[in-house]
Amino acid sequence: MTQKPLELILARNLMSALSTPAFLVDEGGVLVFYNESAGLLLGKRFEELGTVGPQEWGSMFGPFDDSGAQLVYDELPLVKAVRNGRPAHAEFTIRSTDGSLHEVEAAAFPILTAHGSQGAIALFWPTGGGQNGAGPG
Amino acid sequence: MKAKLWGTRGSIPAPGPETIRYGGNTSCVGVTLSDGSLLALDAGSGIRSLGLSLGDEPARLHILLTHLHLDHIQGLVFFAPAFRPQTEIVIWGPASPEASLRDRIARYISAPLSPVEVRELPCDVSFRHCPETEWEIGPARIRAASVSHRGPTLGYRIDDGDSSLAYIPDHEPALGADLDQLEEDWISGFDLARDASLLIHDGQYSDAEYPAHVGWGHSALSHSLTFARRAAAERTVLFHHDPMHSDQFLDELGAQANRDWVDLGGRDGAVEIGAERTEYELAARALSPAATA
Repeated sequence: MTQKPLELILARNLMSALSTPAFLVDEGGVLVFYNESAGLLLGKRFEELGTVGPQEWGSMFGPFDDSGAQLVYDELPLVKAVRNGRPAHAEFTIRSTDGSLHEVEAAAFPILTAHGSQGAIALFWPTGGGQNGAGPG
Repeated sequence: MKAKLWGTRGSIPAPGPETIRYGGNTSCVGVTLSDGSLLALDAGSGIRSLGLSLGDEPARLHILLTHLHLDHIQGLVFFAPAFRPQTEIVIWGPASPEASLRDRIARYISAPLSPVEVRELPCDVSFRHCPETEWEIGPARIRAASVSHRGPTLGYRIDDGDSSLAYIPDHEPALGADLDQLEEDWISGFDLARDASLLIHDGQYSDAEYPAHVGWGHSALSHSLTFARRAAAERTVLFHHDPMHSDQFLDELGAQANRDWVDLGGRDGAVEIGAERTEYELAARALSPAATA
């Protein structure tokens, strides 16, 4: 196992203490952690899921736009943040494992260090309340 | 490889009758590699005594700084070899986006804090940012990695032949984390300390003191022991003692550390409180059961 960069370790430690749903990807876009609040939103704890590859996590829980179409992976805030080294923001709908839908705002920012980008963090704010249903897609 | 403790104290020198056995000088460890090359780990006030012990030798030495807090650099302007024109000194330390290593150190070695400026040092001194990848000094392979402390801070690992020394004097790996439960690759400093023959690690606080110092960048005793156990260090020296800790307090802390270490399944006597002038000969470590499986 390769040691994680300190900045990711500290980010995970901080996220573990937050009640705001938060997601962490490494410099390759691999989802390496999300906190308990994010687990409640998604309906699955990170410990149950484990690390997930870049394309895979982008489609596991939607996300969908207003019309119900799945968002393009490249347009997700977390992906933009880690690729471009700039913050990104979006509103979309995600589907948790029980099929309920959640409208959220997501803000992502890159983790930039003296040694370059180490990954990115995304914070989610539920905005429209939950809704049950099979959901689009 | 040999390691000698020249300064074991953290924060500020604490000389006096109550600290005479464990020492009052701030962080410095002298390391003699198998070919005789000399490294100094940190340049707290202990490096003054190290410098005096060297006489006119060596002609070349390396100083590896973990970070630039005063207790780790305050001995630089009292290091006798720095005032000899025939000495070449290479100072390694953490990079910072703010300024070069030389410029950051020059804030201390300059007026009004110092009577001499860096450019006035008679020795041939150079400053290098530690690379992200392993590098070599003499027969040793050196690795530096950022560790959990306040500001840019490194820990070091030195491998010379089959023996290894991990030096992480300022470290709070348990900040916001449960070291017992965390996966190894998510533990700050783990790779540096993994299977080390000797781990010199932050031991600043007792468990009772730690709650008042969360986030200050140092460990409670139980954190240090858990870190050492997870990393499977063969021998652990607790270091960077709080300036308020008397010899008597450290005697009691050491006894507690050894009891707790044995309770964790460790070898009796494999954990100790670092005392100034103690020297360690690092032999090749015996293969652990995990390594032989």
